[in-house]
Amino acid sequence: MSTPATVDPQQPLRPLWRGLLVYRVLALVSAAVVVLGSLAAYRSAAGAVAVLMVMAGWTALSGYAYLRAAARGRIAIADLAVTVAVMASTPLVQTPAQVAADAPVMGSIWTPGAVLACALAYGVRGGLLGALAVSATLLAVQARPQTELGDIQLIVLVGLTVGFAATVLRRQAERLRRAIAAEAAARERERLARAVHDGVLQVLGLLRRRGGELGGDAAQLGRLAGEQEFALRALLTSGPAAADEQGRRDLAAALRTLATARTSVATPAHPVELPAPVVDELVAAVGAALTNVSTHVGPDAPAWVLLEDVGTALEISVRDEGPGISDGRLEAAAAAGRIGVARSMRGRVHDVGGTISCDTGPDGTEWIITLPREAHP
Amino acid sequence: MTDPDPITVMVVDDHPIWREGVARDLQERGLRVVATAADAAAAVRIAAATRPAVVLMDLNLGATSGVAAIAGILEKLPETRVLVLSASGEHTDVLEAVKAGATGYLVKSAGVEELLAAVRRTADGYPVFTPGLAGLVLGEYRRLADEPSGRGDAPAITERETEVLRLVAKGLTARQIGERLRLSHRTVESHVQNTLRKLQLHNRAQLVRYAIEQGLADD
Repeated sequence: MSTPATVDPQQPLRPLWRGLLVYRVLALVSAAVVVLGSLAAYRSAAGAVAVLMVMAGWTALSGYAYLRAAARGRIAIADLAVTVAVMASTPLVQTPAQVAADAPVMGSIWTPGAVLACALAYGVRGGLLGALAVSATLLAVQARPQTELGDIQLIVLVGLTVGFAATVLRRQAERLRRAIAAEAAARERERLARAVHDGVLQVLGLLRRRGGELGGDAAQLGRLAGEQEFALRALLTSGPAAADEQGRRDLAAALRTLATARTSVATPAHPVELPAPVVDELVAAVGAALTNVSTHVGPDAPAWVLLEDVGTALEISVRDEGPGISDGRLEAAAAAGRIGVARSMRGRVHDVGGTISCDTGPDGTEWIITLPREAHP
Repeated sequence: MTDPDPITVMVVDDHPIWREGVARDLQERGLRVVATAADAAAAVRIAAATRPAVVLMDLNLGATSGVAAIAGILEKLPETRVLVLSASGEHTDVLEAVKAGATGYLVKSAGVEELLAAVRRTADGYPVFTPGLAGLVLGEYRRLADEPSGRGDAPAITERETEVLRLVAKGLTARQIGERLRLSHRTVESHVQNTLRKLQLHNRAQLVRYAIEQGLADD
C-alpha cells in the first residue's frame, strides 16, 4: 500500500479509510479465531458462524464502498446498524453461562470499526454518536456493566479523537484546495494581464505620440493617453507592493508608483526594504512634495524623484524647476494653520527618524529627505 | 531633405503596429530602416545580414528576451549601437540590457522628435540616459560596492562620476550639470559614458570568467 507523503486536497481522509479497512480485517480474523476456538461452548454454533459470516460479508461490502468513496456517510450509518445488530445477537447465540463469565460480545474488537467509520464520515459528532450507540448496545447485552466501563471509555475516546482528526484534516484540505485554486487563478490572471497590458501600453504610447504630432484636441487626447500609460506601467512594474512576512516593504517599488508623464522616479533596481509603516510615511512625504510642485509650479511642471542608497543612509531627493519657494511662505502656511508642506512633510519624515532639508532658489527647489540606516536596520 | 549617408536602423519589436509605426516615422524623417524583426533570434540573424548602425530594441519580445538579442547582436557587430525603446519600464530588464551593451534607454511614450534625437545621439556614439536609467546605474554601482565578493574586482566609479550620475538622475541636462560643476558638457557626457562602459566591461568579464569556469568544470 502506498502512503501519500502529503495530504491530497481532494481526498484528505483516504489514508484513514484505508487504515480503517486494515483494522477491520485484522479485527475480523481475531474475532473469528476467538469464536471458532470455543465454538462448542456456544448455545448455537451455527448462529455464531452465521454472525461471523455476516461480519465478513459486511467488512468486504463496506470496505469496497469506503475505498470507492461512494456514499461513505450512508454506508457508515448502515455500518453502525449492522454492528449493533451483530452485538444484539449475543443473547441468542451465547449461553447465559458464557455471558455471565464475561465472554466477549459478538463482534468483540470488530465493533469499534463502525465508530471509526462514523467519526471519519461525520467528524466529532459522528464519532460520538457511533460510540454512544455501540456503548449502549454493549450495556444492553452485557450482564455486568461495570466491567465494560473501560471498553466504553475507550470507544468514546476513539470516536472523539478520530472524529476530531477527521474534521481538522478535512478543514485543512479545504484550505489547501482553496489556496491552490487561488494561486492558479492569480497566475492565470497575471499571464492574461501581462498580455493585455502590454498591448494596451503599446496603443497608449502610440496614441500619445500621434496625438502630439497632430496637435490641437488630438494633442490633448494624446497627453491623457500618456498619463494613463504611465499609471498603468507603474502599476504593472511595481504591483501592489505588499509587505512581506516581516512587515517590510520595498521603498524603491513604492516610490516608482508615483511616476507620471511629468514626474520621473529614479531608484536602484534592487529592493530597498524598510518597515512598511516607514515606507508609507516616506511615500506620503514625497507625494506631498509632488503635490506642492503641481500646486505652486504648475500642473504640467516636471519633477524628478531620486532614491539613493548611500550606505549609511537613504536619500530621497524631490526636485523641480519652478521659481522657488519665497522666504516665509512655508512658515506662513503653517502659522495660518493650513496643512501645508511644512506639516505634512516635516512631520512625517521626523516621525520615522529622518531629516528633511530644502534648497530653493530661482532655478528650482530640491527637497532632500535623509533617513539614517540605523534608524531602521 | 535627402541625406546622402542616412543612419541605418533596425527596429525590433513584437508588436506589428508599433514596429511599422516607428519604422515609418524614422523613414519619413530621413533615416534608413534596413530591417525589422519580431523576436530575439530573428533580430540577431537579420542584424548580422543587414549591419544596421543603430538597433532600436524592445525588451519584451513575447516569449523571447531583448537582453539576449542585444548580447547576440553585439557579439557579431561590435560597432553597432543599441538603443532600448521599451514600454515595459521593467527596471531590472533595463539594467540588464545596459549591462549587455545597450547604450541608451527611452520609454515608448517619448515623442517622435525625442526618439529621432536619441537615435542620432546613439549613432554618434553618445549614451542616451534618462534620469531613471541613471538611478539604476547609480544603484548598481552601490550594490556592487556593498557586495562582499572575494574577488575585489567590482567596478567602481569616481566621485566625480557619481556626482554627474546623481545630477542626471535628478533630471538635470548635460548643459545644466556642466554649469553646476564647471565642466564642459562634453566632459559631462564622457563621465556618463564611462560609467556605462565600466559596467559593460565588468559584465563581459564576468561572462567570460563564467564560461571558463564552466569549461574547466566540464573537463
